[in-house]
Amino acid sequence: MRAILLRRLATAIPTLFAVVLASFFLMRAAPGSPFDAERPLDAATRAALDHAYGLDRPLLEQLGRYLANLAQGDFGPSLVYKDFTVTALIAQGLPISLMLGGLALAVALMTGVSGGIAGALRPGGWSDRAVDFAASLAVALPGFVTGPVLALIFALWLNWLPVAGLNGPASLILPVIALALPVAGAVAKLTRTGLSETLAQDHVRTARARGLSPFAVLWRHALAPALIPVVSYLAPAAAGLLTGAVVIETVFGLPGLGRYFVQGALNRDYPLVMGVVILYAGLILFFNLIADLLYGLLDPRARG
Amino acid sequence: MTIYAVERLSLRIGDAAILHDIGFEVRRGACTALVGASGSGKSMSCFAPFGLAAGKASGSARLDGAELIGLDEPALRPLRARAGFAFQQPATALSPHLTIGRQLREAVVAGGAPSPDRRALAAMLDRVGIARPDARLDSWPHRLSGGERQRVMIAAAVAHDPILLVADEPTSALDAPLRHAILDLIDRLRQDGMAVLLVSHDLPLVALHADQVAVLQAGRVVESGAARQILSRPLTAETRALVAASPSLDTPGPALPPTGAPLLAAQGIDVTVAGRGWRAPQVTLVEDASFTIAEGEALALAGRSGSGKSTLARAVARLGPMTDGELRWRGEIVPGRDRMAAGFRKAVQPVFQDPVASLDPHWTVAASIAEPLRHLCPELDAAARAARVDALLEEVELGRGFADRRPAELSGGQAQRVAIARALAAGPELILLDEATSALDVLVAGRILSLLQRLQADRNLAILMITHDLAVARSLCHRLAVMEAGKIVEQGPFDRMLSTPGHPATRHLLGT
Repeated sequence: MRAILLRRLATAIPTLFAVVLASFFLMRAAPGSPFDAERPLDAATRAALDHAYGLDRPLLEQLGRYLANLAQGDFGPSLVYKDFTVTALIAQGLPISLMLGGLALAVALMTGVSGGIAGALRPGGWSDRAVDFAASLAVALPGFVTGPVLALIFALWLNWLPVAGLNGPASLILPVIALALPVAGAVAKLTRTGLSETLAQDHVRTARARGLSPFAVLWRHALAPALIPVVSYLAPAAAGLLTGAVVIETVFGLPGLGRYFVQGALNRDYPLVMGVVILYAGLILFFNLIADLLYGLLDPRARG
Repeated sequence: MTIYAVERLSLRIGDAAILHDIGFEVRRGACTALVGASGSGKSMSCFAPFGLAAGKASGSARLDGAELIGLDEPALRPLRARAGFAFQQPATALSPHLTIGRQLREAVVAGGAPSPDRRALAAMLDRVGIARPDARLDSWPHRLSGGERQRVMIAAAVAHDPILLVADEPTSALDAPLRHAILDLIDRLRQDGMAVLLVSHDLPLVALHADQVAVLQAGRVVESGAARQILSRPLTAETRALVAASPSLDTPGPALPPTGAPLLAAQGIDVTVAGRGWRAPQVTLVEDASFTIAEGEALALAGRSGSGKSTLARAVARLGPMTDGELRWRGEIVPGRDRMAAGFRKAVQPVFQDPVASLDPHWTVAASIAEPLRHLCPELDAAARAARVDALLEEVELGRGFADRRPAELSGGQAQRVAIARALAAGPELILLDEATSALDVLVAGRILSLLQRLQADRNLAILMITHDLAVARSLCHRLAVMEAGKIVEQGPFDRMLSTPGHPATRHLLGT
C-alpha cells in the first residue's frame, strides 16, 4: 500500500509540471492579449501595462518567473479582475464549488449505488427496469435542461425552494440535484452491470451455498468487486464536479469556480486560467490516487 | 444410517434434459463418489437439488429426511447450511476481497453457531493442515498456494460441522502428493461421522478413498456399487475407459522412438527478476540450470508448483526473460531475445495449459493455425496456407469441418488439438508442452496424450514437457529432470529415476 502511494506521488509531481508547461505555452500561443478591448488602448498605455505585468519579457523569462512564484504558492495577479490576486479569486470560488460538488458526489453515489443494487436483486423485475429507465434518462438529459426544469417546478410553481443565488442551505438543493443526476445515472448503470457480472462468479455461489440471504450475498460478496468500474469512472468525474460545474453554476447564479475559469479563458487572463488548470490537474491526480487506494481495498490482488 | 438419498433425480435446462433418473445415497461417516468424464453431469447431480445449479430438478433428494426438490429459495437456505460445499477451483470460489478469517467466520455463523474467536478459527485451519494458521487468518486467498486454497475451501465447508460435505473435484488442480493429502484429510473428517459426497474424474484415485462409487455418463448412472469391486471388475465400457485412462507408474512405460544428435543445449541458465517494492532485492527464479535435448527426444521437467519449471522452459524457448546462461541450437549460440532469429522461432513452438485461453476468442480455428505460417513461412501464398491448415487439422484428428469454428464452439480437448496444430504449423523440431493435458479431464487427456505420442513418432519431434504428473510424463518422455526452488536437482533416464530416485524432491513427486 505504501509503495503504491510513494510511486504515485513520485509520478504526480512531473505530471503536474508537464501540465503547467503545456498550459503556459498553449495560452501564450492563442492569439489575443488580456488588454484587448472594444476600443484599442493607445500604444503608450499598452506598453506600460505589458511592462507592469512583465508581458514584454522573453517567454522563457516569463515562465521562469511564473514557476518561481508558483513554487512559493503565489499564482500571481489577475490581469482582468484588477486588484485581485488569483489566489484570492480561487479562495472565493473554491469553497462554493467544493460544497456543491461534494454534496452532488455524495448524493450521486448513494442513489446510484442503491439504484444499482435494487436493480440487481431481481434481474429483469420491475425495479430493475424502472432503475434502468430512470438512469438512462438521467444520463441523457444535460444540466442546462434539468436545471431550469427543476427551478421551474420546485421554485416557480411550487414555491418550495429559491430559484437562484446563494442564500442558506435550501438554495443548494436544486443545483446539487441537477448536478448529481447524470452522475447518479451512470453510477447506477455501472453498479448494475458490475453486479450482474460478479453475481455469476464462483465465489458468489460459495456464499449462496452457505445459506446466506440474497442481500448478504450481494452486500458482502458481490458488491466490492462490482464497484471497481464505478471507482474508475468516479475519479475523474469527482475532480470535474468539485472544480466548478460551469453550466449549473450559471443556471443557478452561484459564484463558484466555474465562472472564473470560463471568463478567464475568454479574457486571456493568463494567471487566472493557469491557476484553475493547476488546481484541476492537482485534483485529478489526487482523485486518481484515492481510486488506486480504493482498488486495493476492493480487490487486494491489486496491491501486488 | 443414510444421511443423503437421491432417487430418480432429473434435471432440465430449458428443453434440454441434463440428468435422467440419477440415484445414489451417502451414509453417515461414509464416502460416496460420483465419477465420470467432464459433461457427464456429476457436478450437476450434486448441486441441482440444493438450488445451486441452473435448471429445474424433479425426483427426490432427502437430506437427513428433509425433501429438497420442489422447495423455493428461502426454504432451501437453511437446508443448504446443514451441508458444506467445497467447490472446484478454489482460486475463484473464495471471495477475493475478504480475508481467510472473515470467510471462515462467516461460514460458522451462517451455519447457526455463535461467532467464533480467533483461536477457534486458527484451529480450523490447523485441522486441515495449514502451517502458521494464525497468520493466515489475515491473508487473502490470492496469497495462498493452490493446495492451501483447496484446504481453506474445505476448512470453510466443514467449519460449521455439517452433516454432509459435498466436494466437487477437490484434487483435480493439484499434484499427486497433494491429491493424496487432501483425500486423506477428507477421510479424517469422516471419522467424526460426517458423510461425504465426492465428485471426481479420477476413478483409480477415488476408489482408494470412497466406499460407494456411481459412474455417470451423459447424465445417467451407468454403474454403481462398492468402490473396490468397480475398480477391479468394471462391468461397462465407460468404467473400463475411466480405469484405463489414468496412466499409472506401476505398469511398464511404452516403447519410445529413438533419439538423434543433440538439438538444444542449455548451459547455466539463470532467471532473476526485480523484487516487488522499492529497493527490494532481486528474486532468483531459476539458478544455474543445464540440460540438453536431442533430436526426437522428450525431456520431462517436473517439480511442484513454484519450482521454476515454467520459467526455465519459457526462457529456453525465448518466450520469457533469461538473465544469464548460454543456449545452443545444433551447436550454434541462439541470439538474444531482441535479435530473435526467425529460424529459432520456427524450430521451437509452445502449447500451453489452458487451451481455450491460449486461442484468440475472436479468431476462427483456421486463422489461429495460419498465423505462424504467415509470419514464419512468408514464402507460402494464401492457397498454400489454406492447404497446410487443412492438412494440420487432419493430422490432429479434427478434420477441415472445424476450420471456421471459434474457440467458444470447441470443447477443451478440441481446443487443445487446435493449439497443437498451431504449434506444428511452421514445422518445428521441438515443442514445449506447458502442462498441456492437466486442465483436461482424464479421458480427454488420455486421447491428447496418444495424439502426442503419434506426432512424436511421425514427425521425429523433440519435446520439452512441463508437468507435475510423472505418470503422464512417462508415456511420452525419455528423460526426467526434477526441479526444486529454481534448481535442477536431479536428471537422468526416466526408468532409472523411477527405480532409484536420488533426491528427496524426486521421491516427493513419486509419492513415496
